[in-house]
Amino acid sequence: MAEHEKLVVMVTHGPEDPELATIPFAMAGAAVASDVEVVMGFQGEGCELVKKGVAEQIHADEFAPLGELLETIQELGGQLLVCSPCIKKRHLSEDDLVDGAEIVAAGRFVAEVTSATSSLVY
Amino acid sequence: MTETLTDVAAAKVVDARGVACPGPLLEAKKAMAGVAVGEVLELWSSDSQTKNDVQAWSGKVGHEFLGVEVADGYDRVFVRRGK
Repeated sequence: MAEHEKLVVMVTHGPEDPELATIPFAMAGAAVASDVEVVMGFQGEGCELVKKGVAEQIHADEFAPLGELLETIQELGGQLLVCSPCIKKRHLSEDDLVDGAEIVAAGRFVAEVTSATSSLVY
Repeated sequence: MTETLTDVAAAKVVDARGVACPGPLLEAKKAMAGVAVGEVLELWSSDSQTKNDVQAWSGKVGHEFLGVEVADGYDRVFVRRGK
């Protein structure tokens, strides 16, 4: 049996850079399709991407639409973790985020990254 | 006699033409759930990288990459479900 693989993808770019906002979703999408456990972590401007209604508006040239990628990643079991202080700074709550997104603090991110077989930071 | 791709009867055909990266791979993943082990999925893609992507994916997840037939402006990519 193959070793269990887990990929953590940290996202720090938001709607201001559609390409760098989309690439982590493309990588996470390919990973869940490859039976790799995926955890996406959103910090800084990256938090904007998991606000309700934002992902659907982002479509970088030559990439699949971000909203479709997000939907597929969740459908195939990917987790979305969002930085707690980043959310507070933006005066957001869990109700403002897409369903399934979980607000977490630094300790949880560290636990996810150190237990992953690979991680990517964008 | 050796089976050629033109002889392969796909259990399912997915048209992902016009879909951008990594959409065709994700379409293949979702469609494969409806294909029985041992049967073949045929994926159509106009993205020139899809055939390479699907070949790598097949090797990783345990499917058999059968090959590619070049059609008019797109590739027909054949994968046999392995598990």
